[in-house]
Amino acid sequence: MRLPRTARERATDLWLAGPAILAMAVLIFAPVAIVAVLSFTDYQFGARTFHWIGWENYATLFTDPVGRKAMTNTLIYVAVVIPFAMGLALVVALGLHALAERFPRISATLRAAYFLPVAATLVAMALAWQMLLHPSIGLVNQILGGLGLPAPDWLSDRGLVIYTLAAIGIWQSVGYNMVLFLAGLAAIPPDLYEAAEVDGATQGWERFWTVTWPMLGPTTLFVAVITATQAFRVFETVATLTRGGPAFASDTLVYALYREGFEYFKAGYASAITMVFFVLMVALTLAQFRVLERRVHYR
Amino acid sequence: MKTLLTASALALAAATATAQTEIRVHYAIPTIWAETQAALEEAFEAENPDIDIVIDGPAENYGEGVQRLLREAVAGDLPDVAWVGLNRWRILEARGLTQPLDPFLPEDTDAAGYTDALLSLGQYQGTQHALGTSASTLVMYVNPDLVERAGYSMDDFPTDYDGIIELAAAIDDLGDSIDGIWIDRHDWRFQSLLGGYGGRPMTADESDIAFDSEAGKQAAALYARFASEGGMKSYIDDQARQAYPAGTLGIMMDSSALLKRFTEAAGDRFPVTVVRLPVPEPETAYFPTGGSGIVMLTEDEEKQQAAWEYISFVTGPEGQKIIVENTGYAPTNALVLEDESYLGAYYEANPNARTAHSQVAEFAGPWFAYPGAEGVAVTDLIAAALVEITEGDAEPAPRIEALADTLRDRLGMN
Repeated sequence: MRLPRTARERATDLWLAGPAILAMAVLIFAPVAIVAVLSFTDYQFGARTFHWIGWENYATLFTDPVGRKAMTNTLIYVAVVIPFAMGLALVVALGLHALAERFPRISATLRAAYFLPVAATLVAMALAWQMLLHPSIGLVNQILGGLGLPAPDWLSDRGLVIYTLAAIGIWQSVGYNMVLFLAGLAAIPPDLYEAAEVDGATQGWERFWTVTWPMLGPTTLFVAVITATQAFRVFETVATLTRGGPAFASDTLVYALYREGFEYFKAGYASAITMVFFVLMVALTLAQFRVLERRVHYR
Repeated sequence: MKTLLTASALALAAATATAQTEIRVHYAIPTIWAETQAALEEAFEAENPDIDIVIDGPAENYGEGVQRLLREAVAGDLPDVAWVGLNRWRILEARGLTQPLDPFLPEDTDAAGYTDALLSLGQYQGTQHALGTSASTLVMYVNPDLVERAGYSMDDFPTDYDGIIELAAAIDDLGDSIDGIWIDRHDWRFQSLLGGYGGRPMTADESDIAFDSEAGKQAAALYARFASEGGMKSYIDDQARQAYPAGTLGIMMDSSALLKRFTEAAGDRFPVTVVRLPVPEPETAYFPTGGSGIVMLTEDEEKQQAAWEYISFVTGPEGQKIIVENTGYAPTNALVLEDESYLGAYYEANPNARTAHSQVAEFAGPWFAYPGAEGVAVTDLIAAALVEITEGDAEPAPRIEALADTLRDRLGMN
C-alpha cells in the first residue's frame, strides 16, 4: 500500500511543475483558446466591435475558390515534397555512407555541401533562386535556351509555379533528411550484414532490402513526419518569391493565413485558417509520437 | 555630492521651465525615409524650439506600419502623428482613429499650396483626414537604346496607346530575350489606366462599382493588347524590375517613386528616361496617386496644436523641399513647384523627376480604396482577373463585367 503523501511533498511538486504549467497555459493554451473563439467572429484587426457568425469562416474556407485553392495547393506541395525530399535524401545518405569508408574526406565535404541549404537563411536563398529562375535573364533559362530547350516562366506560369516552389522546398530539406538517414545508417550493427551474407544475401540490392531498409524503418517514418510538418508549414518561399501569385496560383494555407490576417486585417477568418492548420499539425504531432514509440519497441 | 545634487536639481528646474511639448511620430520604410525624417526633425526643431519631436522606431513597410498602429490603438499607446501609405489612411479612418484636420487648415488653402487636387488625396466624405506628404503616379520608364534599335526615335515618342503598342511590338521583335512592354497586373496600375480614360473605380459616394464602364473595358483591353501585341511577359513585379535595368525591357510602366532605384540599377548601361502616360481623355482624366500622407492621431487638444505645427511644416514648402531632394518623390505642395527658388536647381539636374512630377501636379487624384472588411481582399481579385486577361484566358469586356459583379457581391453593394 502506498503511503499518503505529505503536504510538503505536494507543495514541492507544485513548485517544480507549476511555473512550466503556468507558462504553457499563458503562452500556448490561452492564445489557442482566444484564436478558437475569434474564428467564430467577424472580428477585424483594430476594430472596436465584432459579431458572432458561427461556422461561416470555416464554410468560406472550404467553399470559396480562393480558400480552396490554398488548400489544394498546400496538398499538392506536400504530396510532391514528401516523396522526393525523402527519396533523394536516402539515395544521398546511402552514397555518402558507402563513400565514407573509402574516401572519408570527400564524404565529409559532400555532406557539408548537402547540408548548406538547411543552414542558410531561406529568405536570402529565395532571392538567389529568384535571380536564377528569372524568365529571360536568369541562369537556368539561359542554359536551357542555349541547349535549344523551351524556357518556362518558372515563377509566373500558373500551372508551374507550385511545382517550382516544391522543387525549392525539396532542395532545402534534402540535407536535413540526409543527416537523419546517415544517423540511422550508422546505427545499423555491422554483424547484421555479415549474417545476411552467410544467409546468401551477397548482392547490394539484397543487402538493402533484407537489412538496410527494414532497419531504417523507424528513421524513415520519423523523417516522413518531420518532412510533412515542414511542407505543410511552407511560407517563406511563397512570401518572398510569389506572394501567393500569380492569381492565387501559389497560395498556400500558411500564406493565406498571413494574407487574410495581416494584409486584409480579417482576424476572424485568419483565426479559422489557423485552427484548421492547428488541427492538421496536432494530428501530425500525434502521429510523430506514435512513430517514436514504435521506434523504441522496435529495438 | 551636495553640489552634484544642486546641479541636477537646477537642471531639472530648467527643463521644466521651458516645458517642451513632446510629439511622437511614426513612419515606415526606413530605407527610403530614415535620413529624410532626421533632416525634417532637425529643421522643424530649429524653427520650433518648444516642440520636441520623438520618432518611433520605423516600421519596415506601410502595411506593417498600419498593423503596428492598430496594435498600439488597442493598447492605448498611439503616437501623436503618423506617416502612412496614401491608400492606407482609410483603414485608420474607418476605425475612428484619425483626427479631422479641417479646423487647422488655413482659410485660403490654395495660397498655402494645398490645391484641391492635392487635398483630395486625404479627403473622405468632405472631411480632411490626411494630407499628402509625398506623391507618385504611374509613368513609363523607357530604354532609349532599344527604342532606337527598333527604328524609332525618342524625339517623336508616341503619345497614344496605339503608337506605344506598335513601338513595343517593334522592340519585342529585336530578340528572344528582349521584351516590348510590361505593366503589373495590380489594382493601382489598373486604376491608373482607367483614370487616363476618364473612368472611376467607384461612384463618388462609394455605393457602387463603376469600372465596368466603357473606360474600364478599354483599360482592360490595353492589358490584353500589351500581352498579345506588345510582347508583355507574365513577370511578377520583382522580375520586371530586374529586367528593365538589365536593359532587356523596352517600356516599363511603374511608379514614379522607382526613378532613383532604376537610375542607380541601370548605371551606365543606358540612360533611364521617364515619359508621361498617354491621356486619352484629357477632360476627365486623373491618375491615382501613391506615396505617403500624414495623419493626426492625438486626442489631446494641447498636443493637437503642436502636432499641426509639425504637419504643416512637413507639408509646407520647406519640408517638401527636404522630402523631394532626399526621396525623389513628387511634392504635395504646389508652392514648391510654382516657385523656382525651392527646387529649380534640383529639377535642372534631374529632368526625369521634372517629367514625373509635372504629371503628378497636373493629374493627381485619389487612389480609391474599396470600403469595408473586404476592401483589401478584393484588390487581389482584381489582380487575378487581370492575370487571366493578359494570359488570354478571358476576354477583357466580359471579364471586367463579371469582376464588377463579384466585387459588388463581396462588398455588399447589391
